[in-house]
Amino acid sequence: MPSWITAQLVVSVVTIAVMIHVMLICVAYFVMMERKVSAYIQDRIGPNRVGFDFGLPPLKFLKGCLGLGQPLADGVKFILKEDYTPNRVDKILFTLAPIIVVVPAMIGFLIIPWGGVWQCPDIHIPFTELVIPGAPVNVAGAVFNAGIVYLLAVAALGVYGVTLGGWAGNNKFSFLGGLRATAQMISYEIPMGLALLAALLVYGTFRTDSIIQQQVDAGWLIFSQPLVAVIFFITGLAEANRAPFDNAEAEQELVGGYHTEYSSMRFALFFLAEYSHLFTSAAFFSLIFLGGYSIPGVGLTDPSSTSLLAVLVKLLSFMGKVVFIVFLGMVVRWSIPRLRYDQVMMVAWQGLIPLSLGLVLVNSVLVYLDMATFLPLLLGNVALGVVTLAFAPLLKQSTVNRRIPLYGSRFSPMPGEAVQTSPTHPMARADG
Amino acid sequence: MVLQTLASTDLQSYLPVTLVVLMAVSFAVANVVISQVLGPRRPGETKGQTYESGMNPVGTARKRFNVRFYLIAMVFLVFDVEIIFLYPWAVTFPNIAPYPNGEALIWLGRIFFFILTTVVAYVYGFRKGVFKFD
Repeated sequence: MPSWITAQLVVSVVTIAVMIHVMLICVAYFVMMERKVSAYIQDRIGPNRVGFDFGLPPLKFLKGCLGLGQPLADGVKFILKEDYTPNRVDKILFTLAPIIVVVPAMIGFLIIPWGGVWQCPDIHIPFTELVIPGAPVNVAGAVFNAGIVYLLAVAALGVYGVTLGGWAGNNKFSFLGGLRATAQMISYEIPMGLALLAALLVYGTFRTDSIIQQQVDAGWLIFSQPLVAVIFFITGLAEANRAPFDNAEAEQELVGGYHTEYSSMRFALFFLAEYSHLFTSAAFFSLIFLGGYSIPGVGLTDPSSTSLLAVLVKLLSFMGKVVFIVFLGMVVRWSIPRLRYDQVMMVAWQGLIPLSLGLVLVNSVLVYLDMATFLPLLLGNVALGVVTLAFAPLLKQSTVNRRIPLYGSRFSPMPGEAVQTSPTHPMARADG
Repeated sequence: MVLQTLASTDLQSYLPVTLVVLMAVSFAVANVVISQVLGPRRPGETKGQTYESGMNPVGTARKRFNVRFYLIAMVFLVFDVEIIFLYPWAVTFPNIAPYPNGEALIWLGRIFFFILTTVVAYVYGFRKGVFKFD
């Protein structure tokens, strides 16, 4: 038996093979979940017709199924549609861009420790005498010391595909969309990196297993570092180009953004990348701030329990957290209107970057003073938030793009003008 | 403890990365190829035009664009390189000797100076109006 084939490698390969499918199925169902969430927020029902009967009479009992067949139908349709290449596009880059955008999105989940530690028994390879010796293994795609750095590096690669996609289309809308997306993604990478730096100062390690162990010992980081968690969540949304930061595909201004010229599967790959990105960043958020797979008070999700049952329970709890974070992102998307492009960039450069830099400084001083425990960390966060809120009105306000008072407007009335806010028509009745 | 026995620093722990990259690339390429093969092919003069919301396309998209995007890219480089240098520090700094430690103070001071250089760049950019998007 070659020495490089270890129990860890076998478990890694199995985990990758399983989780890549789990992720793709999740992504397909996230699209449906997004439609359902948007429907319920807008007081509609959403997709509820497509079942698994495929139009065959013997399978009639599978009709309906709450519309769960929708993602399957969408996928089949994407594959069977014409994959059209317009005449004036850059043909090589046009094909390459969706591939470049989807690959980084699909390999990021590798270091997420889905199942914690498993006491792997000896693996006997059938029909041979070969035995892979058992050992405690991590149920993760890979375990290496640079775990978090790998995830950040891979997530940053996604910007190339978006830029190339916008450029290759040879369309003014997609070009502008690609430019906007690029500028936005690189801008939000900085506060994301700084917020992560503040979190890593508390942990003092890149290793995912150690991060979870420390959260089990000292409580989840979201409670001691709420400001960092909020910044990380916001930048996660912005990195995935999701509303309220989806200026790259603002329909009113840019048609479809960087994928205007795309159709069929190459178009679907852009969407797949967006939702895989969402999945990975939700898993990343759960890992750093929500204690990974651990749930306080449930013994099976403790890192010290290594049975197969514990691994399954941990996997379930991790997926539950991921779905919850994604759901939160969807609720944000459908309840907050899109920011204007200059506002998006100002939030990053004038708001989040100084704030997260301040968080890094506060945390590093606390770490130096050996006070990186729950209460001082929380106080540091709260103090910085209060100071920021107190000083924000003192900064010089921009004089352009401001609200201009209009006579009769409900939203920016003239000074001293009485504003009519309730409906006046007799047919309109007050709710409740 | 279990965690210590698992700590692997050698290159073989990176083997799964090659596997997952191969899987992702083959998935992406297969999807593009399959839809090219299975889908219909009906090219057309008007269909092949650039889509500009129904108007006849005017000129090309290979035009000059706002210089602000270049400024963003340049400022991004300054910050990103700084953050990359800070990561190794962030994971080693909490693990050195506890509080009354002169060496740690010197180290903290150096990092603060390093961050200060970036803050100077940020303030310069701010005064020059790099972060004004209006």
